Amino acid sequence: MQENEPSICEEKNYNELFRKFYEPATKYIYYKCGNLQRAEDIVQNVFIKLWKLCATITFSKAKSYIYTASNNSFLNEVAHEKVVLKHQKAVTEHSNHESPDFLIEVEEFRVKLKEAINTLNPKEREVFLMSRVDQKTYKEIAEITGLTVKAIERRMSKALKELRAILGKEIKI
Amino acid sequence: MKKNYETDESFLGRWIAGELSEEERIAFEQTNAFKEFHIINKEAQLLGGPTIDVENALKTVKEKLTPKPKRNKIIKLWQAISVAAIVIFSTGILLTSSKTYTTGIGESQTIILADGSTVNLNANSSLSYKRFFWSSNKNVELTGEAYFSITKGDDFSVETSKGIVAVLGTEFNIKDRSNFDLKCYEGKVQFIQNDKDHSFILTKGMQVSIEENTLKQAIFTEETPTWKKGVSTFTEQPLSEVLEELAIYFDVTFDTRNIDTTRLFSGSFYHTDMITALKATLLPMGITYKKTGKTIVLSE
Repeated sequence: MQENEPSICEEKNYNELFRKFYEPATKYIYYKCGNLQRAEDIVQNVFIKLWKLCATITFSKAKSYIYTASNNSFLNEVAHEKVVLKHQKAVTEHSNHESPDFLIEVEEFRVKLKEAINTLNPKEREVFLMSRVDQKTYKEIAEITGLTVKAIERRMSKALKELRAILGKEIKI
Repeated sequence: MKKNYETDESFLGRWIAGELSEEERIAFEQTNAFKEFHIINKEAQLLGGPTIDVENALKTVKEKLTPKPKRNKIIKLWQAISVAAIVIFSTGILLTSSKTYTTGIGESQTIILADGSTVNLNANSSLSYKRFFWSSNKNVELTGEAYFSITKGDDFSVETSKGIVAVLGTEFNIKDRSNFDLKCYEGKVQFIQNDKDHSFILTKGMQVSIEENTLKQAIFTEETPTWKKGVSTFTEQPLSEVLEELAIYFDVTFDTRNIDTTRLFSGSFYHTDMITALKATLLPMGITYKKTGKTIVLSE
């Protein structure tokens, strides 16, 4: 342990960690359980624990602690319920999109895409959503999930193949 | 021929990350499957994630963390004090509170007291006593009329507007309306008139009545008060008293401006039917009545 690491027991440092990792950790759990309120509760409890353990966790270890503890408490709590993710409306205007390559209504396709994502195995889904929705690199996802980049590449590939299997027939080229 | 994306289990993952070799990428973009993957990838990136209010969450967590020990203790102390005060206060109220039984017009009620004594409360009357520690000081307050059947034992007393009736296992009737009437049916009672030095001892068949501050003693023969059988009887009593009695059992008021209410009446009426009662009392006196609503106008 390096002596010059900032202490989590100092509120300034604690706040910094919170602002940095609360949102990605909550999204991570949300992509697993599909319940935002629950995800927020889980991650908030992790941060409460982090404060209590502030003397024993170093600043540099906090990140992995937050993700690991969030995941563990999620696993302890949940017997993998059916996930219903409520994605918000697409953030980007679609009018600028290159002329549609497919004939079905864009909105209709998006609904089906969400449904298809929901049917994915949670392991693939969380990787897929962190990568595509949150635009995280595989390395970042690896840090959060504790997986190797190779494993993430495999999960990502599997997710895409499954989505294509479900949605391919909807896309007319 | 099998495609790369089917055989290589990390192929698509690497494609997303832009880590395919130039060669791999160009070959992949030639396939029909590519367009489908491309659209799925494009659209997935347009999905919005959940909205998370980090600052609000930080506030929530801080609220759960902040110990605020001193303020908490003070609040708790104040809470404890106020709870204690409420308990003491309400216990005090409870201990000094009274139980009151009240009867309306035409109603009667039988009350059994803690020592087994019974009180038959006549219409338009009330009886009250202390809720706690009553047995050590058997005292009840009466307004109206009631028949007491007291279990032998300690002193028992009834407070009325005219005085205290103290008893030792006995049966008696107290009527404390505009006039006062105490009748002893069994045993012995003592009547201590308000603001008077002397008291009266009544035994079975003795009666004390107070009319307009004049105390009279009399003898009677009935075994129980007639009101307990649903009858009111009068022996040379003023008409005003009869009308007062009628108004106890029937929900009416009398307009007596045209009659002389000091005339004396002897007779009785039943509490069951108003018209019959009015006829039984008023006809012998040569008084006619006219009922309008709840008011009965009397005339000679």
